Amino acid sequence: MTTSPKAPIVSVDALSVAYRSGGREVPVVREVSLEVSPGRTLALVGESGSGKSTVAATLLGHLRHGSRITGGRVAVDGKDVFALAARELRRLRGGTVAMVAQNAGHALTPSMRIGRQIAEAGGEVPVTDLLEQVRLERPRELARRYPHELSGGQQQRVAIAMAIAARPKVLVLDEPTTGLDVITQRGVLDLVGALREELGLAAVLVSHDLGVVARMADEVCVLSAGRVVEAAPTRRLFAAPADPYTRRLLASVPRIADAGLAVVGEDGMREIRPRADSAGAVDVVDVREMTIDYGASRAVDGVSFSVRRGEVLALVGESGSGKSTIAWSLAGLREPSGGTMGAASGGGAGGSSGDSSGDSSGDGSGGPSDARSGGASGGASGGSRGGLSEGASGGSRGGASGGASGGSPGGPRGGASDSPRGGSPEGASGGSRGSSPGGSRGGASVGSSGGSSGGPRGGSSEGASGGPRGSSSGGDGDLSAPARRRPLALRRTVQLVFQNADTSLNPRRSVGDAVRRPLRFFGTAGSRGEAASRARQLITDVRLEPDFADRLPAQLSGGQRQRIGIARALAGEPDLLIADEITTALDVSVQADVLCLLDDLRRERELACLFISHDLAVVRGIADRVVVLWHGVVVEEGPTDAVFAAPGHPYTKALLAAALEPDPEAEGAAAPAEEWADAAEPGALWDDLGGGHRVRRWRPTDG
Amino acid sequence: MFSFLLRRVVAALGTLLLSSVMVFLAVQALPGDVATQVLGRDATPDAVAALRKQMGLDQPAWERYADWIKGALHGDFGTSLVTTKPVGGEVAQYLGNSALIAVVTVLFAVTGSVVLGVVAGLYRDRWPDQLISTVSLVGMSVPEFVVATVLVLAFSVTVPVFPAVVLYGPGAGVGQLLPAVWLPAASLAIVMAAYIVRMARTSVIDVMASEYVTTARLKGLTTWRVVTRHALPSALLPTLHVIALNVAWLVGGVAVVENVFNYPGIGKLMLTSVQNRDLPVIQAIALISAVVYVVCNLAADLGSMALNPKLRTRGGRIR
Amino acid sequence: MSSVKEPAGATPSSAAPSTPAPPPAPVRPGFAARTWRTVRSSRPAVIGLAIVAVHVVVALLAPLLTPYHPTTGDASHALLGPSADHWAGTDQYGRDVLTRVLYGGRYALGVSVTATLITIALGAVLGCAAALRGGWLDDVVMRVLDAVLSIPAILVLLVIVTALGTGSSVIVLAIAVVCVPQVVRVVRGAALTVVPQDYVTAARARGESTWAILRREVLPNISDVVCVEFAMRASWVVLLISSLSFLGFGADPPTPDWGLMVSENRTAITVVPMASLAPIIGLATMVVGLNLAADGLSKAWGVDRIREGV
Repeated sequence: MTTSPKAPIVSVDALSVAYRSGGREVPVVREVSLEVSPGRTLALVGESGSGKSTVAATLLGHLRHGSRITGGRVAVDGKDVFALAARELRRLRGGTVAMVAQNAGHALTPSMRIGRQIAEAGGEVPVTDLLEQVRLERPRELARRYPHELSGGQQQRVAIAMAIAARPKVLVLDEPTTGLDVITQRGVLDLVGALREELGLAAVLVSHDLGVVARMADEVCVLSAGRVVEAAPTRRLFAAPADPYTRRLLASVPRIADAGLAVVGEDGMREIRPRADSAGAVDVVDVREMTIDYGASRAVDGVSFSVRRGEVLALVGESGSGKSTIAWSLAGLREPSGGTMGAASGGGAGGSSGDSSGDSSGDGSGGPSDARSGGASGGASGGSRGGLSEGASGGSRGGASGGASGGSPGGPRGGASDSPRGGSPEGASGGSRGSSPGGSRGGASVGSSGGSSGGPRGGSSEGASGGPRGSSSGGDGDLSAPARRRPLALRRTVQLVFQNADTSLNPRRSVGDAVRRPLRFFGTAGSRGEAASRARQLITDVRLEPDFADRLPAQLSGGQRQRIGIARALAGEPDLLIADEITTALDVSVQADVLCLLDDLRRERELACLFISHDLAVVRGIADRVVVLWHGVVVEEGPTDAVFAAPGHPYTKALLAAALEPDPEAEGAAAPAEEWADAAEPGALWDDLGGGHRVRRWRPTDG
Repeated sequence: MFSFLLRRVVAALGTLLLSSVMVFLAVQALPGDVATQVLGRDATPDAVAALRKQMGLDQPAWERYADWIKGALHGDFGTSLVTTKPVGGEVAQYLGNSALIAVVTVLFAVTGSVVLGVVAGLYRDRWPDQLISTVSLVGMSVPEFVVATVLVLAFSVTVPVFPAVVLYGPGAGVGQLLPAVWLPAASLAIVMAAYIVRMARTSVIDVMASEYVTTARLKGLTTWRVVTRHALPSALLPTLHVIALNVAWLVGGVAVVENVFNYPGIGKLMLTSVQNRDLPVIQAIALISAVVYVVCNLAADLGSMALNPKLRTRGGRIR
Repeated sequence: MSSVKEPAGATPSSAAPSTPAPPPAPVRPGFAARTWRTVRSSRPAVIGLAIVAVHVVVALLAPLLTPYHPTTGDASHALLGPSADHWAGTDQYGRDVLTRVLYGGRYALGVSVTATLITIALGAVLGCAAALRGGWLDDVVMRVLDAVLSIPAILVLLVIVTALGTGSSVIVLAIAVVCVPQVVRVVRGAALTVVPQDYVTAARARGESTWAILRREVLPNISDVVCVEFAMRASWVVLLISSLSFLGFGADPPTPDWGLMVSENRTAITVVPMASLAPIIGLATMVVGLNLAADGLSKAWGVDRIREGV
């Protein structure tokens, strides 16, 4: 199947693997055959459960506990891997084939220094040289560190250094960039590409990400349910996929060039559905100068935005940008330390102007302060498109939060002036992860910002945002109170859909129960019977069979669970639906379906939706407007088309440049990112590009 | 690193303070008047009152607590109501004897059980694991006095190697006590090892299934190296705290065994002083046990720091 | 906060979410049904529960199984070896040992099950509350429990029993004092794995009360841990009670308690070994049964990791 004239170094012949579960043999890999020639890269592509990782691990003679080979053979460098004696197998591992595991954070032994772990892998190359080879700075110092002292990108580079230590002939990469931010991912992929050239490695790349595959692979092997459905050279496969499965898979991948959601037919034809023009002028939620602290570190720093009825607003950023923190705060799970958040529902149906929303409070949904909604949308009508332009909102909202928005908005973040983009993508950070706010993987954000993230945030914004603290007044419609202290009607107005559908449903309660509970709790369904029938209706609304109500979450697939998560959120009849990375954990085809559902729902219900994502291609398809976050501040915002067509901020440009399209013809290396520093000053924060598109002031720096 | 240690030390001191208050209150709540007890039922009310005054019993409880704690800090736990000797010295003597058993027990039980637990974990679900797991299950299921009785039956009655009971008083020398140490130590070790074995097994299984152990294996390392360098440090972490708890348990655990063997240790003293309502001695023993508990846990924390660099280096937080 | 990207195409174990509708069985197994299925799947659990069941049956039917009275004996038949009349012989007062062992099960089971039930109930509520509320409540609860744990259980028991007497209710209370801290630790540990789950967060975002979250979201998900803890704790309590009796601080002498019997007959172990061995066998089988059940269940449910550090 390969086109290479040279003898293959890896050849897998009719391999079948099964694992035992409850006394039965469950096949995971069925008669897979493939070959890799020296110097070539083969990608194993497939959705979860396709067996691609299992196949990759067999190249090292590794099977998961409880699995066994039921047929076929695996030969690497002429040796039958599973026939080797223990000693020879050890020599094969590392010496001939080496593996870069998916999550370097878990794959490095926490109790051993980096240097020793690399040295252990054997080979003649000194550790410092290896670290230099993977483009890590200050290798000597780094070698003495422990894994937890590195950022995600650095860890992945160390894992690569470990793999190439003994100069293997074949490199197996199992989802090497899956946990990383786009910019970091781009850096790691470029590194792998370069090393492949330098060392003449053959590589087997396991990935679910067709963008990564398009960029890296010479040949592609598409797996589905343990079988090879299609194998072809990369260009041919992407240009003319032969198998319907491959076609559907390819068509499901959202692209940055799409001007709307892609709807994929059974035959794999994709059709771009034009974006709904349902966005009204009424603000549903209005956030001003929101500031959130985690202990001493500031996760969100003076962020303002508003979401209008029927509109999808995307918050885009890497890990540590504060985007999820904002979502949690809106949902009442984390108290902001400053700023105001107002819910301004009122149910004035779409198209109502700013003036009319002022008296919309008579609506049954109750609660929210009409004064505020009037003010907020007054601002909206004043500004050209969004209620976001500084002057307008500052003036009209004086009563509610004068101090906050009248003063200098947004911490100027002065500390950021020293080139945050200096040096190699991760190298410069010096590994300080302590202050990154993003929780477990905060380090990744450190990586892509270059400078230690403590720096820019540390000294910056104390003065500017100290003021708003306490100015968030209580009362109806005030979302700065935690959920427990919000009136019931207000809790209802904002509903959250979680990233990970697996943990968002109680495994011991039926799916129907999960949907019924908010119906009863918020009092939207009067009786038990009504709740039951409404729950079934909601489950139908998210395009599932009503009988699903009786199932337990474990009996549902990931996509189905996520739909139930949406149904549960809808049960509160919210004005604002917050979708926090809801498709991140899903396979592309499932992701496409869920996105379509979300788009349908917002059309049908005129829902406002805050769509939080790191994936620019997804955002492009679904969002009306985009807010780009960088370390807790908004650097750019505007209508989706305008931002994608002409990104104004270098950070947005870098994000866009790092995004990988499922197209092997896409340009090779990203243009070197511009060096920049924040140049926003009180009173002169923004460059307005018109049409609601504005960019936080910055200035170029050199090196 | 120091903040972690500091937090632990502060927590430990808090625990000690709390437990000393509890001990004091609990002992105060014991029925019967101490003075009456000392003087006997026939004592005149005047004599009782005089003794109460002399013992400071007429003062409010918190003052007596403060006095007691102040004394305890200097090693002065008051005088025994039964022997009228200073409690400190007496307890120290018994404690020393028990320490002899404890050292032997800990040495054998901890090393042995960690090794067995690791072996069981590595050979998961194969015969060594099944054997070790079964034996440790039985060890957990049988009370100390049964183990002790069976051991006596085997090694003192059937094959008289070790003495069944100790005939010496608390003042006996190490040489006199040494032959009598083995059976009590063995009984305790069997019971104690069971818990450690199980914990070590579970955590070894966990760690061996971790991604970094798989990665180490796929680097082509030998099993020995994978286990000793990559798996064990992390696997021992949770085991450490179980070991600490078990070592602390010994202080109370010896009571039954020492009773069986009539060994003049702290457990025996505990029993007799409860029987005699010798309050100062009970208080002293309880406080010392609390100190042992706290120290063991601190030692385990220190051990965790040695094994887990996240606790040692900056930016490290316990989650 | 962090946007941890879950690998969308990772482990083959996460059984093909892309294929629609996994097992179509629309049944909702209740806790009982689930437990039963788990029990059947684990041989140790079956054996353990069978042993415990035998003990329960014997304890209930003790009067029917033996013609003798447990506390009155015939002094002329003292210290007999096993015979057709007295299968396990008699003790120094001429009481039938087997009878006393059978009745002993009643006492052991009755006291320990009551004590364990109370302990578990208290411990589960406290542990869940500490985990769910966190903050100062958690700190205070854990500190107090640590202080209780720092004093040897046996000493606490001795002091309570000396103060309040050796009645069954006193022993139950004393056991609760000693055991609650350990149960709280285990339950709290289990609850802490549930609390960060998104479904709990969802309930919090709805603004549900702590009690509602506890009852609806947390407890159903730790019921297996609690169940295992019950079996484990019961075995521990049986041991503790018998140790107490052995030391002479538990059941009062004529009571047919296993620990007491061992203590009484230990001196005559060379003359009538059965008098000591029979209660030991009773004790050991019951505890092994409970431990096997706990072990089997915890492995089958996969909760053995949460229970660590007893």
